[in-house]
Amino acid sequence: MKAFFDKIKQNEFYKMWFKDALPYITGAILLSVFQIVTFATTKNPWGVSGVFANWGAWLYQLIGGSVDNWYYFSSPGAQATLEAGIINHGSTWRNIGIIFGALFATLAASGFKIKKLKSYKQVIAASLGGLLMGYGARIAFGCNIGALFSGISSMSLSGWVFGAFMFIGAIVGSKLLVKYFM
Amino acid sequence: MSKEVVLDCFGEACPVPLVKAEKALEKLEINDILIVQIDHSCAMKNVPEWARKQGHNVEIEEIDDGEWEVIIEKVK
Amino acid sequence: MTTGIQRSSSSTRRSPRKKKKNQIPFAIGLLIVIILIGIWLATKENHQALYWMLGLAFGFILQRSRFCFTASMRDPYLTRSTSVTKSVLIAFAITTIGFAAIKYGYFIQELAIPGQSYIAPISIATAVGAFMFGIGMVIAGGCASGTLMRIGEGFWMQVLALFFFVVGSLWGAHDYGWWMRNFMLAGKRVFLPDYLGWFGGVLCNLLIIAVIYVIAHKYGNKKSESELH
Repeated sequence: MKAFFDKIKQNEFYKMWFKDALPYITGAILLSVFQIVTFATTKNPWGVSGVFANWGAWLYQLIGGSVDNWYYFSSPGAQATLEAGIINHGSTWRNIGIIFGALFATLAASGFKIKKLKSYKQVIAASLGGLLMGYGARIAFGCNIGALFSGISSMSLSGWVFGAFMFIGAIVGSKLLVKYFM
Repeated sequence: MSKEVVLDCFGEACPVPLVKAEKALEKLEINDILIVQIDHSCAMKNVPEWARKQGHNVEIEEIDDGEWEVIIEKVK
Repeated sequence: MTTGIQRSSSSTRRSPRKKKKNQIPFAIGLLIVIILIGIWLATKENHQALYWMLGLAFGFILQRSRFCFTASMRDPYLTRSTSVTKSVLIAFAITTIGFAAIKYGYFIQELAIPGQSYIAPISIATAVGAFMFGIGMVIAGGCASGTLMRIGEGFWMQVLALFFFVVGSLWGAHDYGWWMRNFMLAGKRVFLPDYLGWFGGVLCNLLIIAVIYVIAHKYGNKKSESELH
């Protein structure tokens, strides 16, 4: 059995499809294809970070909080989504799918390794970075998938504005990273 | 005698390995060797790409599941 | 290994190497779990199995090509590398054409154009939010999709980043009303075809992409050339 799996590792098609990294361009084309598939089938472009607001609301409800009179969740649609619960939330499954898809790709390439937190700097960087991304994405109508990739591809000027200011943010972030978090 | 420096970037996500490698290589002399230890698949793409673009000799060794060493020989 | 960089023995064999484990059986096991979850989701309402498959495809593609939206914004400044930036621009161009085709199809059938909620109002909130997001993704080592992808790769740091991403999202949702009242309501939603026509809108989008591509290409090559001399 082990010999069989070791033999797969030598197979040229295995290497091509599962082992060697694809060129960025190939990634770009494949992501575009699935963006278009997403839009054609679900009538909405791909989005990632909106889901996290719902996760936050469900977590908050779990510890006894209520978001009922928050403007963000006040629309009937948002209320219905919260009511239906996380198990029935399609976009939640899409996000979990991203984790599983990446995990499968990593295992298939025999490259999985658990990477523990290395230093307190990583803890601060991840926490602060996560908070900034979460808050920023909510007030800017999405992350670099929903607001940038999907926004620009939907021919929305907001996508370009988002991109320009995110680029400035990335420069500031790079300076901070090199100075404080490395 | 050329020097050999091992740079431990295990557990570091992009762009930390690349920035660290850039800094470390700057301090080395020509013909010295820098070994960057990486366990992040994205860095496995951008560190060798950067080093090759700079014109250095680059070799990659998979030392364990999800662990690699990028061996860079400074040529200029 | 044709060039053969000569390494001293001390660094190559510091410790006896562990024998590599083959993880392909685990991948097959996971694939079975993935399929079972898919079958279960297919029995539920709201096309959840479809979302599941789309997520799997995105995660697989992101990991296989090491695609990173964060790198596309960060690397030009940090390392002057623009190869990821250019690929992201190509994705924008292809997807623009696909989206325009779908939207236009609805338009000529006189149906409501789908996905127009993604045409967001432009205001100070867009600028502030995008700026915050830009800082956050660089220091956390990944954006939203990148964070999820890296969790799949085994990074604990990104699990932490995801938790705080969720907390930050809740915080943002909490303050959303304030931003709405003060800025977003006055913001304009600009759908390019409304101003330039369908053909003009697509062309304008592609032209902006092309101009940035040329800048990225020239800028990205500069450093390596200047250092050669």
